[in-house]
Amino acid sequence: MKVDKTCVGCGQCAAFCPYDAIVVFGRAFMNEKCVECGICVEYCPACAISEDK
Amino acid sequence: MKAVIIGAGLGGLLAGAKLSKAGYEVEVFERLPFIGGRFANLDYKGFKLSTGALHMIPHGSRGPLAQLLREVGAHVNIIDSNPMAIIRKDDGENIEFHDFRNEISITKRVKLATILAYSLKFKPKSDISFRDWVLKYFDDEFLLKLADSFCGWSLSLKAKDVPAREMLEIIDKMYLYKGSGVPQGGCGAVTGALADVIRSGGGKIHTKSCVDKIIIDGNRAKGVKVSGKTVDSDLVISDMGHQETARMYECMDDGYLMRINSVVPSKGIKICLGANEPLIGHSGVYFTPYAERINGINEVTQADPSLAPQGKHLVMSHQAVLSDNLEEEINIGLSDLKRLFPEKKYEVLMVQSYSGGWPVNRASSGTEIGNMTPVNDLYIVGDGAKGKGGIEVEGVALGVMNVMRELGVSS
Repeated sequence: MKVDKTCVGCGQCAAFCPYDAIVVFGRAFMNEKCVECGICVEYCPACAISEDK
Repeated sequence: MKAVIIGAGLGGLLAGAKLSKAGYEVEVFERLPFIGGRFANLDYKGFKLSTGALHMIPHGSRGPLAQLLREVGAHVNIIDSNPMAIIRKDDGENIEFHDFRNEISITKRVKLATILAYSLKFKPKSDISFRDWVLKYFDDEFLLKLADSFCGWSLSLKAKDVPAREMLEIIDKMYLYKGSGVPQGGCGAVTGALADVIRSGGGKIHTKSCVDKIIIDGNRAKGVKVSGKTVDSDLVISDMGHQETARMYECMDDGYLMRINSVVPSKGIKICLGANEPLIGHSGVYFTPYAERINGINEVTQADPSLAPQGKHLVMSHQAVLSDNLEEEINIGLSDLKRLFPEKKYEVLMVQSYSGGWPVNRASSGTEIGNMTPVNDLYIVGDGAKGKGGIEVEGVALGVMNVMRELGVSS
């Protein structure tokens, strides 16, 4: 997943990630557990996450 | 009569519940997959964190939000904090909030009583900031620190960025409604109960439904376009703030556009801690005026233990953001917590920050421009249009009350 600059670090994606793959510290960072399922995309209020292409 | 509501945050749901009770057919559209906006619960590691607010209602069971919840029959148990608040002094000693006067000289104490009584009655008409107001009359280090701590905790602002008249409105309301409370079940219990009111009145709430456009005809809001579909209505209420709402229709009012662009959002950082033992030991606000960044802390499990796994405590700190370096701001906050609780063991569950497109408040306190728009039958509610002197969600409730008064929907 790709996180762009509009991420504010609210942590919503991390709480809804079923794989515990997101760490938030001022902004969201995906770790190696990410399986690119894309669930975080729709939970992001800032529309900051997109599929990594 | 049909009302369309854009956004299922606290403002949208309060408005929806009021209108539903008044006989309107209500349809709410929320773009996210869940309702509640920044007043919802986030289940995380067995704790009930929140999407935004700190599971606290600034004026507890007596305030405007509690009043609205009662009016619409939303069943929420608000546990009033006792003590209301504690202040941690420079030397680490804790004092009751009301005893802050004992920390200043007798001369200043007498002056405080008279100046405050006068200023509450005759609020300053100038744009003097709360910090400058405190400096002008008292020039007291402790009062200045306390002002920053209070403004940071409750408004995510430094005292220098809050107009004194807005702060005096807030002090007025503190005398009137008193201190804070914790909604049993957290923020999510409040927004969940409001959604129940809307649904039981026959209203609909759609999630994952992004409104593309507000339909205007003859300067009246006539409905919305959602995923290509037109939904007609007699009234549109937006919980998205003035700026985002104005982007959804062709706004021709230059004066209004200029005013809404001068609105400043507020930024904040919340650090959520999980602990095996109490860190502060009471359900009130713990003001930390001498910390470098942390303005205040609460321990909501003192009021509602169900917000954490059994035997654990959920502690949340809040700080205004003072620089553009968010990582550094967070690190200073974390160091503050280490210094505040040196002997205690706790886990940092999550660090949450709010700014820009998802701020603490779309319109920081004192920069609100009301609930009206240049378009008839189109109103703004929520944190982008709080009522005067309303701290956070109390301001959201006051804003909704203003709109209801405008619409002739009585209590």
